[in-house]
Amino acid sequence: MDQMLSRQDLMRKIQELSFCAVELNLFLDTHPSDAQALQDYSYVLKELQQLKQNYNQKYGPLLGFGEAYVSGNYWKWVAEDEKWPWEGDMVF
Amino acid sequence: MWIYEKKLQVPVNIKRRDLKMANAIFTQFGGPNGELAAALRYLSQRVNMPTSKSKGLLNDIGTEELAHVEVIQAIIYQLTKDATPQEFIDAGLQGYYGIWDGGIFPSSPLGEPFTTAYINNVGDPIANIYENLAAEEKARATYEQLLNLTNDPDIIKPLSFLRQREIIHFQRFGELLDDLQLHKQMKTQFRVPKIYFETDSL
Amino acid sequence: MITPNIEQYLKHESAPKLAQAYIPIQMYRNLFNVNEALYHGTIFRELFQPYKPSHPLKF
Repeated sequence: MDQMLSRQDLMRKIQELSFCAVELNLFLDTHPSDAQALQDYSYVLKELQQLKQNYNQKYGPLLGFGEAYVSGNYWKWVAEDEKWPWEGDMVF
Repeated sequence: MWIYEKKLQVPVNIKRRDLKMANAIFTQFGGPNGELAAALRYLSQRVNMPTSKSKGLLNDIGTEELAHVEVIQAIIYQLTKDATPQEFIDAGLQGYYGIWDGGIFPSSPLGEPFTTAYINNVGDPIANIYENLAAEEKARATYEQLLNLTNDPDIIKPLSFLRQREIIHFQRFGELLDDLQLHKQMKTQFRVPKIYFETDSL
Repeated sequence: MITPNIEQYLKHESAPKLAQAYIPIQMYRNLFNVNEALYHGTIFRELFQPYKPSHPLKF
């Protein structure tokens, strides 16, 4: 299903899940043995990894420094037609 | 170490240029209760925290604050992009233009350069956490002041998000405070007097 | 002078202390859905405290 999403929608889903991960991370920092929170964190992480992998393969790496899959004959991280996050949504 | 992720924490898509509002929002970039101050405050304090929970929480909130710096930069950038000298004059910002043009310099709306005098890091972890609780409250109040200055939903959405984050961080620091106060109490309560060993070993 | 016994002492130790702030520890419950948390700025309904400006602006 995620294969059908536009780039913007895919990014939005990543932002939504990634935010849940941040929120659960902070909760777990002060509640490190909360079983339900731990379980939810694992669930979010699994979904997020799937979405990010999908994004990386289609649009280039979200992470530099050896942390994400790259392909092709150009370092897409700095492709001139790519927007950086602060420049507004990735509407193409 | 830190790894940059090419994604904004929350979407920012501003359609209408607004130099006056951009200027006000500078306070959350380089101002006294801003995100840059928050990030540096927590990432400095984390180093000498006494427990793993406290190191972790300061590390993680400090990291989230860095993402907030970027959200603020995005808002200011999009509110000011391609502004002409005339637009700077119309907003009363020819002074800013004269020094920085379109460069987004870490300063307060009054042009005061960012300074670490806004933050502190003392050896007492509990004293630091009280500072952080106050800092989160002041940042929340600042976001409310900024929300009072605009009707633009494209600005209101990310500012409301950032304001809500201050409330969450306050709660987490509160929980950490409880933990550190207990930690301190246990340390003093169960400290075995030296005299005990001396008599016992006789 | 009051001579404290151990029970009194323990009761006192677990009670809130003077000159110390306390914030209730949050329970893990009442969550927003995964896809709506971002738009509330939190995953926790119990911590969601939206703000409405009290002085509407005129443009």
